[in-house]
Amino acid sequence: MTTAAPLPPVGLPSPEAESRGFLRLEWRILRTQLAQGFAKSRLRYALVIVLSILLWFGLYYLVLEGFHFMKGTLPQRIHEQIVQAIFNMFFFALFLMLIFSSGVILYGSLFRGGEVTYLLTMPIREERIFQHKFQRAVMLSSWGFVLLGSPMLVAYGVVAHAPWYYHAMMLPMLVAFVFIPAGIGAILLLVIMHFFPRKRIHLFTLTIVLVIGVTVWCFWSLFSRPETDLFTPRWFQEMLRRLQLAQEKPLPNWWLSSGLLEAASNAWSEGAMFLVLLIANALFFRELAGMFAARIYRKAYWEVAGLGSPPIRVQVGWFDRALNRCLGFLSPPVRLILVKDVRLFRRDPLQWSQFLILICLLLMYFTNVHPVSSAIRVSQWVNIVSFMNLSVVGLLMSTFTTRFVFPLVSLEGRHFWLLGLLPLKRDSILWAKFLFSLGCLLVPCGLLILLSDWRLGIPPMLIVQHQGTSLLLCLGLSGIGVGLGARLPVITEQSPSRIAAGFGGTLNLVISTLFIVLILVLTTLPCHVYLARQMEPVFAFSGEAAPFILFWLIVGSLASIIVSVLAALLPMWIGIRTFRRQEFH
Amino acid sequence: MIEFDLVIRRYGRTVAVNGLSLTIPQGELFALLGPNGAGKTTAIRMLVGLLQPDSGQVRVCGIDSSRKPREASRLMGYVPDEQYLYEKLSGREILEFAGEMHGMDRTTTREHIAREVERFELANFIDNLTETYSHGMRQRLVFAIALLHDPKVLVVDEPMVGLDPRSARVVKDLLRAEAAAGKTVLMSTHTLALAEEIADRIGILNHGQLDFLGTLTELRKELSSPHQALEHLFLELTNGHPLPAAEKLSS
Repeated sequence: MTTAAPLPPVGLPSPEAESRGFLRLEWRILRTQLAQGFAKSRLRYALVIVLSILLWFGLYYLVLEGFHFMKGTLPQRIHEQIVQAIFNMFFFALFLMLIFSSGVILYGSLFRGGEVTYLLTMPIREERIFQHKFQRAVMLSSWGFVLLGSPMLVAYGVVAHAPWYYHAMMLPMLVAFVFIPAGIGAILLLVIMHFFPRKRIHLFTLTIVLVIGVTVWCFWSLFSRPETDLFTPRWFQEMLRRLQLAQEKPLPNWWLSSGLLEAASNAWSEGAMFLVLLIANALFFRELAGMFAARIYRKAYWEVAGLGSPPIRVQVGWFDRALNRCLGFLSPPVRLILVKDVRLFRRDPLQWSQFLILICLLLMYFTNVHPVSSAIRVSQWVNIVSFMNLSVVGLLMSTFTTRFVFPLVSLEGRHFWLLGLLPLKRDSILWAKFLFSLGCLLVPCGLLILLSDWRLGIPPMLIVQHQGTSLLLCLGLSGIGVGLGARLPVITEQSPSRIAAGFGGTLNLVISTLFIVLILVLTTLPCHVYLARQMEPVFAFSGEAAPFILFWLIVGSLASIIVSVLAALLPMWIGIRTFRRQEFH
Repeated sequence: MIEFDLVIRRYGRTVAVNGLSLTIPQGELFALLGPNGAGKTTAIRMLVGLLQPDSGQVRVCGIDSSRKPREASRLMGYVPDEQYLYEKLSGREILEFAGEMHGMDRTTTREHIAREVERFELANFIDNLTETYSHGMRQRLVFAIALLHDPKVLVVDEPMVGLDPRSARVVKDLLRAEAAAGKTVLMSTHTLALAEEIADRIGILNHGQLDFLGTLTELRKELSSPHQALEHLFLELTNGHPLPAAEKLSS
């Protein structure tokens, strides 16, 4: 080692030079991530791309058909009003969600984590650190918006025979629009963290309650009409009146929808005016947020960092005691590990809250599905929707096992010194995780399907069949999740989301999805086909087809039981074999 | 030069740093010692601009680090106890970013990087992604980042954690050499032998207050234990009652 020769002092960089430095940083990180992703996670990347394309085209055709239907069946004036209302409502909902999501993402990146600590100890302007994080937050919170919004807008352009500049203006308008709610979310966050740092949890909870409340209110006000009025001119007028809140002219969602509709109707100058309005406001809110950051970001950081974290005292609660008693029939090692896993899961709300939100959304949808279905008066509606609902719940459960069950074994890696010292058979650890997964899946899965079936009023036999299918799905998904998790553990990783996003997690998701499709085709689909045949003469099959359906029903049901048991046991067997030999460091 | 002037910092009701007054002149290697929760990291976080004192001032070469954090951090190099490195960048790319943020032009940055690569023996892995680095490699890179812009003040929080004997020797020599070259070095550590070996002066922080400030010889004299090792003196000081001299300091 040699002593450094002193070099002349240098000045600090200009804002432009700082900006270039961060751009280079982002570009280098992105380049490495892409190169690594394509080299190491081809399956995951390919799946993401293929599924995104499928989703995009699926949405595109769905919306295209919807717009064609409206254009063909509704008078021109009502059609235009309805499209405007749909656009306004869609962008208004996204406007609110983007305020919230950008605030949450920015909280994590501006006030937590190592990068911001590092950057704040460097001679970098606070507003530059903020802009760096803000742009990332905008990207993170808006890619879904572009993925969901663009097929609708392209489809509308096609149906409305929009000119080329409609399509050219679409992306700049969407991007400019996203910056407005993101800027508002960022300003709100900075103000809350600076002036009310101690109340941040209360304010966060209040915001969640408000968002859920507004969503429920929107649903309720939209679908609380007498069912006989549905799709009548009076109903349309009533709906437009109720959507008035989303159609206020000072709101950016109105500028966006108006700009797009003007451009689609060959009024390029009006379209361009709204585009300029959106860009000007996007720049304004971005700059305003930057100004706030320059003045209060570091102070807000100090406030939050100075709060400290009081020690959290925990004790064995009534739930743990009750669970322990209920599981008395299990061997003590399995029972204790299971209770431990439940306790860890319960004490990590950041993990399960996302899942809870999805369940709540499904609950809301299932609760509202009945009035709509009765009003539509399509006899096969109930049959089709109940089948789709069962499929959706199955897919939701597969995301649960990928996100939470698959990483369970990997997460034990760092703590295995503790489990390894205990007089436990390694098999017991995996069986405990299997039961944990089964228990976590059975309750929400069964209840959600029951609620959907009850609201749709399907025959009791089909309800029983759906509950049986739900049991088979939970068995198989648990076996796949735990077994694959033990076969392909990622011991070095601490974050469950990263474990789930790796090769093993992706494989788990693919296999789980295939398993769900197979079970539904084997057992539930023939039931619904059989039901369709009984309900509607047009679905009556010829004499040769009817015995085939019965055959499909009986053999498929038996086969689905066998497939589910195999799906549960085979991955578990493979996982246990690997887990017995696994070395933990 | 580093100055803490009657600095108080609370976390809720807990007083982490209580009336800390301390001046570390240019060219001195100062070791801040103290048991867990004594307030060492809080003091350092205030110095590097990550926390603001509730009262009092922290200055780096006369610049208040909470009023002008950017100007103050420009004069400092900081090696934190928990290193943050961009996992998807190479060591060289991180050094280039640090140089750019310190306002160095490309040629100067290249020269300084070459100097640090040689000084910390980074050549074998400088172009690899940092996610592949061992703890020792990471620590050496963090030192290189901290020293890239020739800071006047070097602040090091727990420099020896996880280092192998060779890397530890490199760090010790480096800290001494930097102090000898005229830099002010503040080092927080639990490794008493390290402080005993290389520090010019030591400060013992206990419950947020400076219980002792001076050289090892002065500490021995205070405790009337002329031949005791620092470990013994430290335990005696932090477990027992404050010394009359310490009471004087706190008041």
